[in-house]
Formats: sequence, C-alpha cells, structure tokens
Amino acid sequence: MKKKSTADKVFVVLNTIFMIVFVTITLYPVLNTLAISLNDGTDALRGGIYLLPRKWTLKNYITILQKDNLITGAYITVLRTIIGTMLALFSNAILAFIVSRKRFLFKRSLSLFWVITMYVNGGMIPVFLLYKNLGLTNSFMVYVIPGMLSAFNMLVIRTYMNGIPDSLEESAQLDGAGYTTIFLKIISPLCKPVYATVALFVAVGQWNSWFDAMLYNRMSPEFTTLQYELMKLLSSVTNQGSSAEAMKNAIGTVTPTSVRAAATILTMLPIICLYPFLQRYFVTGLTIGGVKE
Amino acid sequence: MKRKQMLAFGLTIAMAASLLAGCGGEKKDKEKEEGGIKEFTAFFAVPGTEINDDNEIQEKIAEITGAKCKETWLTGQTAEEAVGTMIAGGEYPDFIDGGDAMEQLYEAGALVPLDDYIDDYPNIKEYYTEEEWDKLRKDDGHIYWIQQFGNIYGEEKATTHNDEAFWIQARVLEWAGYPEVKTMDQYFDLIEAYQEANPTMEDGTENIPYTILCDDWRYFCLENAPMFLDGYPNDGCVMVDTDKLQVMDYNTSPTAVKYFQKLNEEYKKGIIDPESFTQTYDEYIAKLSTGRVLGMIDQWWDFAYSVNDSLKQQGLNDQGCDYIPLPITIEEGMKNQWHNSGSVLNVASGLAITTDCDDVEGALQFINDLLGQEVHDLRYWGVEGVDYDVDENGEYYRTEEMRTQASDTAYKASHLCTYSYFPQYSGTSRDGINAMSPQNQPREFFDGLNDDVKKCFEAYGAETYVDMLGTSEAPGPWYPLYSFSGTLTTSTPGGMAWTKMGEVKHEYLPKVVMAEDFDQAWDDYMKVYEDCNPQAFLDEMQAELERRIEEHEKYE
Amino acid sequence: MTSAAKRRKKENVMDPVPKITWKEIKRQKVLLLWSVVIVIYGIIFCYLPLGGWIMAFQDYKPKDGLFHSAFIGLENFKFLFSDATFLRVIRNTLAMGVINLASTFVMAIVFAILLNEVKAKGGKKVVQTISYLPHFLSWIVVTGILHDVLSGTGIVNEILMRLNILDQPLNFFAHPKFFWPIVAFANVWKETGWNAIIYLSAITAIDPSLYEAASMDGAGRWAKIKHVTLPGIKPTIMILLLMNVGNVLNAGFEIQYLLGNGLVQSVSQTIDIYVLKWGISQGNYALGTAAGIFKSLVSIVLIVIANQIAKRHGEERLF
Repeated sequence: MKKKSTADKVFVVLNTIFMIVFVTITLYPVLNTLAISLNDGTDALRGGIYLLPRKWTLKNYITILQKDNLITGAYITVLRTIIGTMLALFSNAILAFIVSRKRFLFKRSLSLFWVITMYVNGGMIPVFLLYKNLGLTNSFMVYVIPGMLSAFNMLVIRTYMNGIPDSLEESAQLDGAGYTTIFLKIISPLCKPVYATVALFVAVGQWNSWFDAMLYNRMSPEFTTLQYELMKLLSSVTNQGSSAEAMKNAIGTVTPTSVRAAATILTMLPIICLYPFLQRYFVTGLTIGGVKE
Repeated sequence: MKRKQMLAFGLTIAMAASLLAGCGGEKKDKEKEEGGIKEFTAFFAVPGTEINDDNEIQEKIAEITGAKCKETWLTGQTAEEAVGTMIAGGEYPDFIDGGDAMEQLYEAGALVPLDDYIDDYPNIKEYYTEEEWDKLRKDDGHIYWIQQFGNIYGEEKATTHNDEAFWIQARVLEWAGYPEVKTMDQYFDLIEAYQEANPTMEDGTENIPYTILCDDWRYFCLENAPMFLDGYPNDGCVMVDTDKLQVMDYNTSPTAVKYFQKLNEEYKKGIIDPESFTQTYDEYIAKLSTGRVLGMIDQWWDFAYSVNDSLKQQGLNDQGCDYIPLPITIEEGMKNQWHNSGSVLNVASGLAITTDCDDVEGALQFINDLLGQEVHDLRYWGVEGVDYDVDENGEYYRTEEMRTQASDTAYKASHLCTYSYFPQYSGTSRDGINAMSPQNQPREFFDGLNDDVKKCFEAYGAETYVDMLGTSEAPGPWYPLYSFSGTLTTSTPGGMAWTKMGEVKHEYLPKVVMAEDFDQAWDDYMKVYEDCNPQAFLDEMQAELERRIEEHEKYE
Repeated sequence: MTSAAKRRKKENVMDPVPKITWKEIKRQKVLLLWSVVIVIYGIIFCYLPLGGWIMAFQDYKPKDGLFHSAFIGLENFKFLFSDATFLRVIRNTLAMGVINLASTFVMAIVFAILLNEVKAKGGKKVVQTISYLPHFLSWIVVTGILHDVLSGTGIVNEILMRLNILDQPLNFFAHPKFFWPIVAFANVWKETGWNAIIYLSAITAIDPSLYEAASMDGAGRWAKIKHVTLPGIKPTIMILLLMNVGNVLNAGFEIQYLLGNGLVQSVSQTIDIYVLKWGISQGNYALGTAAGIFKSLVSIVLIVIANQIAKRHGEERLF
C-alpha cells in the first residue's frame, strides 16, 4: 500500500496544520515565561512582554541561584526523585501484578481497597499526627514512604498488564516458574512503556513537590527540597503581604513575576532533559506484537 | 522454589524495613549552643524573607547579645492551617507570631505568660505604658504577646502617608496650577478636565483617568471610602460617633450613596477604567507602573513600593507621574482624618514565647537586647561605614549606592538582618538626632524624592506626604476597631454577618457602579445587604467599643 | 472488532476467580504474602487517618484535639446544607467538574491519536515534548497569561474586532457566562499534552500486525484509527474515565480563585474555595472535614455506579 489515497493526503495536511496550531498555542505560555524570566523585574511590571524580553538581564536567575540552602535542596530533591521513583514503581508494579492475575483470590477486593483510597482522605491534621507518631516527621522517609503506592498508578499498570495474554503466564507455570519469576522475567519486560509512563508521573511529582517539605520538615533544614526553597523565595518577594510591615519586607529589585518565571524555567529544565530518555518507550512503540497472539 | 521464596521473603523484609526506617527519627535539640551563642527558632505566620544562615549583621548582633534566631515564615498556607498543624503536632518554635491565628495558640495553651517577667527587662518594660500592657492582657489576666509594630519612640518622624488616600498624579496638579482639591466632586472634576485636555501621555499612550482595585481582600480601595469621606479615621469596619460613642455603618450612610452614585456617573462618562472590577492585583500594579493612571484610592504600601521604582526607572517622574495624596471629604470644610498620628496598638497579635522554649529568660533577654539602641541601629540602619555614614553632627545618611544596595534581594539575604517581626520602634532614636529607621529620616526622605513631588510639595507649602493631608490624633481609646473585627469568626452571629456582608459587597458594589439605573441597583444591593443582618455585626462592635472605653476609664 | 478487543471482552465477562481452597491458597502464597504487606501499608497510610473524620461531628478545637473536642452530631453538615451559598457552590463545582472532565478528556485522546499519526519521527518527538511543557507552569502563570490574552487590548479582542464580530472590546471576566468555558479552556491548554502521555504509551501496546492487516484490507487512516487504534486504547480510556468520574467534585481551587472576581463569584466559587472561606480561614477545620466527607461519599457513589455500568457492558472496570 505505497500509494496514498486522496483522503489520506488531506488527512496528513489537516493533521500537520492541527499540530502546528497546537504547538503554537502550547508553546506560547512557555516562551512568554522564558521572556519574562530574562527581563528586568521592575520593567516587566509594566506588562506588554510577549515573546522577547524588553530589557535583558540574568538578575532573576542570579537571585535564585544565590539562595541559601539551594545545594542541600537540590541534593535532597535528586535523592527523593530517584529513591521515590524506584520505590513507587516497584511497589505499584507488584500491586498491579497481583490484582491482574486472573486466578488471584482477592483481586476484586484488593482493587476496591485501593480505588477507595483515591477518593478519601483524613485531612491535613490527622495525617500530620500519624506521620509524627510514625517518626516520619523531620526525616527523609516522609518523602518516599507515604506516597509509595497510589491507586492511579497501579490502575494504569494493571490495565496494561491485563492486555498481556494469559498464555504467557500459563506456559511459564508449566515450566515450573513461580509468581516472582513470572513478574520479574516475563511480565515486567513487556511493561516497559507503562513503567516509563508511571516513572515519569512519579518522578515529576517528586521533583515538584514542596508541601511535604514545608509541613513535615520545617524544622529540619537538612531535609529541605529545591522546590521548597524556591517557594520560600517566591513567597518572600510576592506582594501578598497584607500589611505595611509585610510589604516593606518584600521589597527588592526583583519582582515576584520575574522570579517566578525564572524559577519555573529552572524547574522545567531537568524534566525536559529527562524526557527524551523515557520518550523512546512510548513514541517509537515497542513491538510486543510478536508475543501477543 | 527455595530461591524464589527467599527472594520474595527478602523483598518483603526490605519493604517492611523501609517502612520502619523512619521511626528512629531522632528528636532534635532546638536550642543549640554554638560557641556560647544561643540559637532560638521562630515562626511567623506571615509571608516573609528568610535570611542566609551566615548573615553578617545577624552574626554581629549575636556577638553583642549572645543569641541569634532562625526565622521561618509562612509559605503556601494560611496562617490558620500552619498554626493548626503546629498545635495538633504539639511542637512549637521558641518564638511565634501566629498572625490571624494568634487566638488559637492562646487557647491551645501554647504560649508562656509574660507579665511576671516583664519588670526584669528594662527595654521591654519601657516598650509600652502600663495601660498599653493592660490592653494586651487576655481574659485570664495574663499578657502573652508583645505587639511589635506601630510603636513610636520620642518624637514622631512621619514622612510618608502610609495609609489610604485619594491619590492623583503630580502632572494633573501641575497642569491645573496646583489648585485646592478638597471634595470628591472637585477631585473628579479635575481629573475630567485634565483628561479632556490631555487624553494621552507624551508618548501617545492613552491615559486611564481613574481605576479601582477590587481584587479579593484588596477591594477596600472601592468599599471603605465613605468612612473617610465623612471625616472618620480608619477604624476599618465602622465609624464611631465620638460624642454619642456609638458605632455607625458606613455602608448605608448618605455619603455612601453619594460616593457610589458619583462613581456610577463617572463610569458612564468613561472616566473609570472598565476593567476595574476584573483586574488582578498584578494587572493593577502593571497599569500604575506605566504611568497611565491619573488617580485612584489605595493605601500607600499597597502600591508605592513597586510602582515608584518602576516609574523612576522609566523616567516617568519627569512627566509628573508620581502620586500625591489629597485631603478629600464629601463636603467642603470638614475635618479629614486620612492620616492619624501617634502609636497604634493592634492587640490582636504579636510576638509570643511558646511553652516549648526551654530558656524563657534567655528569650526575653534577646528581645530586650534587640530593643537597645545599638542593636536597633544595626537592625534598621545596618553597619556604619557600610550601610550608612555619619556626618559631623551625628546625623546618619546614606549615599545613592548604599540605598540601591539596601534594596537588593541578595544583599538583604546575606547582609541585612532586621528581625522584622520582633518588637521595634519608629520615631526618634535615643540619640535625639536620627530616626529609628532610614525611611523616616527627613534627610533620607528628601534625598529620595523626585522633582515632580518636590515641586508639588513646594506649591502646597508641604514638606512631607503627611503635610498634604494634615494629621490628627487618634480619636479615642478604642481606636482602631479593626483589631477586633479582624478576630471575628463565623461562630458568632456578628461574625457571620460580617463575612456575609463582605461577600455581598464584593458582588454588588461593582454592579452598582456599572449599573444603567443607579437607584434600582442601589435598592437591590440594599435589599441583599439587609439580609446579611448587619445589625448583629454592629451590636458586637458596639459592645467592644463600650468595653474598650470602660477599660480605659480605669486609668483616668 | 479486532480479535484483541474480543478476547479482552470475553475475559472480563468470564473472570474465572477460583473458590477459596487451601490448595489455591498454597498455590498463590507468594501473591497473598505480598497482598498482606500491601494491605497493612494501605491501612496505616490511607485508612488510619480517616479517624480524622470524627472531627466533622465535633466542635473541633485545636487545643482539645481529636480526643477531647465536644461532639455536636450533624451540626456541621446542617450548616453546610442549610446555606444557600453551599448549594450554589455544589452546582458550580459539578458543572465545572463535568465540563473540564469532558473537554480535557476528549482533547487528550484526540491529540494522542493524531500525534501517533505523525509519521515524521523527529516532528513527533518535538511536538510531544512541547505539548506537555505547559503542565509545569503554575496556575498563577497560566491565569496571568490568560488575563493578558483576554484583556481589552488582548489578542482575542483584537481579532474579534478585526473580524467585526465585536464593535468594542469585551471584558470577558465581567460576565458569568464566560467563566466556565474559560476555566475549561485553561485546563485543556495546560494539561492536554500531559494527559496524552498515558494514551501514547497505551498505543505502543497495540500489535503492529493489526495495522498491517487493516492496510491489506484497504483501510485508510480514518478506518485504522477507528478500527485499530481506538479499540486498542479503549481499556485505558475506560479506566481513566471511571477514575475521573469520581473526581468531578474536585474541580479545582486555584484557577477559580485566581480567575474569579466579585462580579462572577456566583459561578466561580467551588466547594474548596467555600471551605477555605468559611472553614479554614475562620479556624473551623471541622467544616472542611465535613465538606471533605461529603465529597468522598459522592465520589464513591459515582464510581460504584459507573463501575456497575462498565461491568454490565463488559468493559474494563476499576474493581
């Protein structure tokens, strides 16, 4: 089928136009943020900056990079992203594996058990008390243990695993393989695309989170995270002060809008770098067809 | 099979172990002693700037006082949330200012009563008069916190008018030959006349004659003007009749009707920015920063710090875009109270010491030391020779470089340490020459003024922003009542009414201003407003007013 | 219908879960051992904090904590449901939840499928990388840009005036009728590329031979999308749809808060904003908890219903 039909040609043209429009619209806010981040803060207050900075400066970035504790924060953030992602991927994959076994006795109840957790939560104060009593406050563990299993990620993996033919499991069992072997040697290699997806979700979540650092490790600056340090910087330059005193505190030569823009760009960079590594798993397409039928 | 089981078992153990690993989290000693320097911790439930750990002035103060304090601030939470989790967890820093959630800390028994200690610390003792200390007493008779702000030492040195006013650009006044502008009608007439003669700025940008900030809690720029127009001071929530000692609602006064009707007329004439009620605070600041806006109502601190910098950077002050406050009332010949002199004691919050602090005496000694003149100068002026110079008369001054440096964010973090939520003074230094902080130093103030403002002040025979408005003493011992309305919660009928009134005003006042038929819109508004039961609110305010007067009588 | 989809359907209908016997337990002991660990974890971290729900029935005071606050029965719930504002807030939340769900959901699928049709490898990668970037912008940045774009002098008004659709600039934020669409658009703008990632990964699982077979049969692009791609990602679509049905009451907080103003507050306030205003900012945590319980109950009812519907139609389901 080398020759393309007219309908197909029309499709390709329309699709290309769609993609161009889509990219333009989604790229705009990012470029706008980039432009503001490279523009003088006081000047940016006037507005009217679109794609290019009006008054170039690196001051916004310098302000951020001079922040105290940034190195500690970056170290902890990288650590929590790596450990947190590995732990979460591993435990969600196991859970998904269990509930996607056709013969598993409690597959329905275990699924329900986790699905419910998506829609209920005890609120900030009870959770805080729990973590405190478990000794998770003022520790690194609070970043990687509580959020390890999530119903959402589990369901995404489960759906994928459900699509893998049972015949694979059955033939392995005939060869004497136990569930651990089936999970590690047979199912997991086929799940790379979905593992990559979940890893991306978890990693981004870990990378961006700061609320837990503030809530549980406020008194332990050695466990501060990058994003928490950025948030502190932001809220200190933000004009959200509700009194003359707060406003006096907030005054500097940088403004919230430009610092926020620079912080956003700095936050995005590592994710942009990480993405191509994961991308090959879901853009090129992994041929698992050979084993499917 | 064996191997696999082992593996599974191993993984299970690993998972369980990782669960438990956190449990050993060691309890941390809060008051560390490093080389004889006590280290305190503090949390302030307001957004603020964290300074670097090796901050230079902080070290200097530590050398003098033998103590320092690690300050943390509110980030991404409300004060109530932050304090709520703190109370639930039962762990506090040594010092705390709970902001809006101060009452919760008191109720939770988290604060140390300070009244037994105060006499031992001369600087703290001196900070308030007996009557003022008593005002800070809670219903159990103890003092738990020290309000840090609004305390004037010696002679007051007011230069800027920090509060609310009708502002107008210097160029408008200059164009009209610096006329006397005393009433709201004159104010808008002037703006209209100027706008007709000069619809654009020098570069052709169209002027915005008048804009109103209405974003969230900042809608005071729209709603509370009737209070000032009637010549009452900023009680924030009601007007107080000083003869009858009776609270009055400014939302329903005849002046309120006149004011909103005026706004309605001006809106129809196109004088009022059509985006007034939908603009965000950022957009509002952006508009002012372009120099396009001729006038508005706002509090100085809400716009001036960022807008003035931006105007100056663009050289717009040469075009006369700086803002001047005007002493406006509803009728001519009324006394205006836009500016009040003297200390304002807001008893609703302050700096407290928590029950988790192991060294209350040390903590109080630290507060005491921070109020000493040498340390106070370090906090607000900085290091002599670096942040300010002293002339032969002992007067402090800063060079332009020093001024720029002092506003640099990175420099602030690494060098300056104001301990800004610890007790502090404004007014005159104990040396009798200088102001307690640079902002109030007359010479500093004049050196920093732009020409358009100087010219304007000259024309009106004023030397400061305050002179433009005139000043009056605080009206009575109850002032300011907002320190009470701020603590109202929905658990009382009055608090419930107060919250509902806020919601209704937020929605209906813009509608009233934009209405085709003002009278109809006003009636609709009044109907909904009455449904909120404002009387319940006024009753509670009246009770508080009487309570405060009664308290005061004990001292006469 | 493709054979893969057929097979899946059959399996779901049959579900041969065996009876609980010792033999079966022994056979599955590895799975069971793991389950026990996972359940213990879940009880500790997800279910134990639900003890905090007691708060909703108390006059909770931080000083007394959960154990010593006075019980007041259903007072907090009564307060919520007797307030006309709360009912309006539920309406707003539901409306925005449904509109957002529908629009972001459809856009993500459409985008994933169309992106998959881009044959130039480089182009595909670039487009995808760009598409998910807005996800990393905070709402305050996005709403700031929206305000710019929709302002009186913004590009939208400019275009509408050039096209003579408007004769003077329209202030979009002053009219309640525009609020929900603006919120939906902002959600689509920010999250389409990000949400599409899941579908793209699901598409990779589709057997390429199915496309080849379809081509042999002379199917064009549309036909292949309709008969191969869509059925291939249908289980993923179903699962996400089911999950999101339970989330319609989580219509958001920040965006409405940032875009709202006094003139549109009757349509902009969501449950979360209401709770902050009347609960937390007044130091009343119990009210927030009560609203949270209400949301949870509605969510659970919704997903149980949705799950039953899915079950009846033999589709992928949550449990």
